[in-house]
Amino acid sequence: MFKLNFKIALRNLWKNKGFSLINIGGLAIGLASCMLLLLYVSYEFSFDKQYENYKTTYVAHTNMTANGKVHTWAWTPGLLAPELKAKYSAVVNAARSSYPFEQLISYDDKKIKNKGLFADPEFIKILDYKFLSGNAISPLNNINSVILTQSLSHKLFGNQNPLGKIVKLDNEGGLKVEAVIADLPENTSIKFDYLMPWKLNEQRQKWIKEQGWGSNFCLTIVQLQNSSLLDQVNAAVKGIYQRNQKGLLNELFLHPLSKLHLYNEFENGKSAGGKIDKLRVFFMLAICILLIACVNFMNLSTARSEKRAKEVGVRKAIGSSRKALVAQFILESTLLALIGTIIAFILVEISLPYFNSILNINLIIQYNNWRYWLTLLGLVVFTGLLAGSYPAFYLSSFDPVKVLKGFGVKTGSAISVRKVLVVSQFVFAACLIVCTLVIYQQLTYIKNKPLGYSQGNLVQMAALGNLRQTSKLELLKTKILKSGAATSVSLLSMNIDEGGNNTSDINWPGKNPNDKVLFNQRGIGYDFIATTGTEMVAGREFKIEFPGDSNKVLINEAAAKIMALKNPVGTVIDYGEYKCTIIGVMKDFVAESPYQKVAPMIFNRAYHDDGGVILLRLNEAANISASLSKIDAMVKAINPDYPVDRVFVSDSFEEKYNSEKLLGTLSNWFGSFAIFISCLGLLGLALFMAEQRKKEISIRKVLGASTSHILTLLNKDFVKLVAIANLIAFPLAYVIINKWLSAFEYRINISVLPFVMAFAVSFLIAVLTVSIQSIKVAKANAVDALKYE
Amino acid sequence: MIELKNIEKYYANKGVKSYILRHVTTTIKQGEFVSIMGPSGAGKSTLLNILGMLEEPTYGTYEFMGENVTSLNERKRIELYRNHIGFVFQAYHLIDEMTVYENIEAPLLYKKVGSAERASRIANLLDRFNIVAKKDLFPNQLSGGQQQLVGIARALAAQPSIILADEPTGNLQSAQAEEIMQLFQKLNKEDGITIIQVTHSEKNAEYGNRILHIADGVVKGDVQV
Repeated sequence: MFKLNFKIALRNLWKNKGFSLINIGGLAIGLASCMLLLLYVSYEFSFDKQYENYKTTYVAHTNMTANGKVHTWAWTPGLLAPELKAKYSAVVNAARSSYPFEQLISYDDKKIKNKGLFADPEFIKILDYKFLSGNAISPLNNINSVILTQSLSHKLFGNQNPLGKIVKLDNEGGLKVEAVIADLPENTSIKFDYLMPWKLNEQRQKWIKEQGWGSNFCLTIVQLQNSSLLDQVNAAVKGIYQRNQKGLLNELFLHPLSKLHLYNEFENGKSAGGKIDKLRVFFMLAICILLIACVNFMNLSTARSEKRAKEVGVRKAIGSSRKALVAQFILESTLLALIGTIIAFILVEISLPYFNSILNINLIIQYNNWRYWLTLLGLVVFTGLLAGSYPAFYLSSFDPVKVLKGFGVKTGSAISVRKVLVVSQFVFAACLIVCTLVIYQQLTYIKNKPLGYSQGNLVQMAALGNLRQTSKLELLKTKILKSGAATSVSLLSMNIDEGGNNTSDINWPGKNPNDKVLFNQRGIGYDFIATTGTEMVAGREFKIEFPGDSNKVLINEAAAKIMALKNPVGTVIDYGEYKCTIIGVMKDFVAESPYQKVAPMIFNRAYHDDGGVILLRLNEAANISASLSKIDAMVKAINPDYPVDRVFVSDSFEEKYNSEKLLGTLSNWFGSFAIFISCLGLLGLALFMAEQRKKEISIRKVLGASTSHILTLLNKDFVKLVAIANLIAFPLAYVIINKWLSAFEYRINISVLPFVMAFAVSFLIAVLTVSIQSIKVAKANAVDALKYE
Repeated sequence: MIELKNIEKYYANKGVKSYILRHVTTTIKQGEFVSIMGPSGAGKSTLLNILGMLEEPTYGTYEFMGENVTSLNERKRIELYRNHIGFVFQAYHLIDEMTVYENIEAPLLYKKVGSAERASRIANLLDRFNIVAKKDLFPNQLSGGQQQLVGIARALAAQPSIILADEPTGNLQSAQAEEIMQLFQKLNKEDGITIIQVTHSEKNAEYGNRILHIADGVVKGDVQV
């Protein structure tokens, strides 16, 4: 039976090629979208789970209250790890590491700027990196040693054996290559290219040893005996800061390593989701797209019921049970699902490179992973069963006597079920249209919002090596200005688009002593205003004509507002342990998130030996690439040991939009797919209706109806369905998008435009789809339909 | 073999009962060739469908080979019907997607007949009806008479004890119709298969040995030929 049914299913597919194409095409697109999204979701879920002990590994987080808000971050004091390991029996191991930083590592004349990390020896015990060669037993014990990843080792040494070779860090000190480990997988949160002993960090940076419990500068990872001890340990370590340093109100807690990536946001010191929320949206999207593809399939299959009714009648008359018929139809749909999956596979393979490039990750189909195949098989069976269920039960319920006599199949219930299905498809599609449009509006709004400084032609460049010396930097500045490549040059203590480095240790006259206000702090050089294109609201900036500015500060407007001073310029404030005079108020500019209000900021005079970032305003009158190569040459001449590391501020700022741009692109793509599949469903329904109403239409035509009358007649029902779908979709979309928008401090008001657009688009698409079918019916010869009655 | 007692069939529509069959009581013995005749709308086909267990009577009892069909559950009814009843339709009702061979095979598959047995039975039937050369063709590639031959072969495949035919020659030209009727007669005489046919034609009815006349749902005459 199975074999015969299988054969017949194939013949059926072949016989109705157009129908099969629509059906399989819709299913394949739905499945491909679903597979892509699931691949992405599973990639995000796989983060940090490659370590053997990931279930018992935790990252220490600090809660700090300031501005009435609890700030949570994974920065901890250097004293924490030894203390945890010594005093808490549940802790198996604890290790600290620095945050990854880019530094020059070199061997002979090969100089590479790559991510380095200082870490305790325990670090490698907790996170089991794969050692390819060298000392895997007691690494990181020798102070002048380094562990390289395979690709870095290859870049530095080519095919030579790297073990025992001496590399230089930042052009000083010799570090012996102790071991080589495999490259870190992409889906790991703690990334580095080379690993050095923590002791070396302490030796290089003398201040580290002097830091107390109030100074958070390293990452602490902790391994517990087992994961059930977490609550107990968290309760015990909560007050660890206060116990060690009176008056320090920070609190400590451990956050699972496996949640570091996805649960990266905290509210009031408690985990509050983060990336996981977006993943949930994508997961829902995957399921919904698959669902509407299935709905589509049901629609199209039942639409052909007229044609299959006779077969059902005959089969029943020659002794088939209903069960056998259900099995047959399920088999057919599973077969279609299987073919759809194979095509989906091809589609996924084709679109993966593009998908990877917009997501900026590297997803691959893991052909050798049985879980993948299992999921795929599950997907096929699920789709086959779901898509086949309704047609199977509907078709197998036909009464043989009636269908064989040629009475029309009673279709009332089938139509209404199908109408509900089409409406739900369009609800989904309309929701997606609205959401996509609002996301785009929001993105455009944010991008067009003034940043407070001018990004075009602004270049930033890390001041490294020789450029840390005042004289060399001055020389460079003079040379660049003289060459005409740039019109203005200044200095900033960090990248202009970078967050972090803040202090709450600022007091001013009239301040409530209990308030803690967090200020971003930056050091700036001369000509900052001219270089960045921002403005002074009051007072003046640091100028070469005023050399004695060491105890003077500038503030931004946000800070002036929070301080609520009548006349900020000239006010003396406490800045740390110094008394400083405010000499100017600068207009707010966006340094961190363009979606949030600008935080209060305080500027002091930057000194060159602090390092930092050189800002260059390129000369607009000159050729940009010529200017850049001039600058590169001049930098190289002064600072030959380092590669020139410069970027356009606008480029690096663009990264801040990535997450929203990604959401926009994805919802756009998958929204289009959803709409396309829904259209196929609508086409199915139109086919069915046209078939059903052939006789009615013919009679109407005989009675004198014109083609346009009939088109209106046929389209009216569908337009009604689409209108209902939109009515349901709008409140739904409003709620969803409002929730999404509420996360932004700067946001657009939801206008009617997206809703009007959604209605217009769905209306237009529906009418076009239906008309393709109904024109055929309306133009057909009336006699053909009537003479069989 | 068949015993109908007081069979009634009506459809209730807005409280008005419209009767199709009234007080039908009759007995059909093994080996009979019965023709049911009557004007359009008399209830002939409904009676045949009730006999073939495709429809249920509203009232009355129907015994088939000693079993009360009206009280059987669906599974048992299908079982009974698979083993004993073969249907032949006016419009042939072959499955378009199946070849001749597969059409004949289908009832055997539902009856779960083993594959060797299946092959031999089908070969036998093809041979007997001279359609061996056509076994891989699809129904729409055959003439009406040939299609009906396949229809009969399909009905015979399950080796039923009774064949129910609803105007088997209604769509055929007279020469082909005669061929089919002769075939029925042969099956009845040589193989002892009970045949009940619905027909409009006096000529076809004469091939059988008993005629039931029905009008307005009532049996008006029962004539032995």
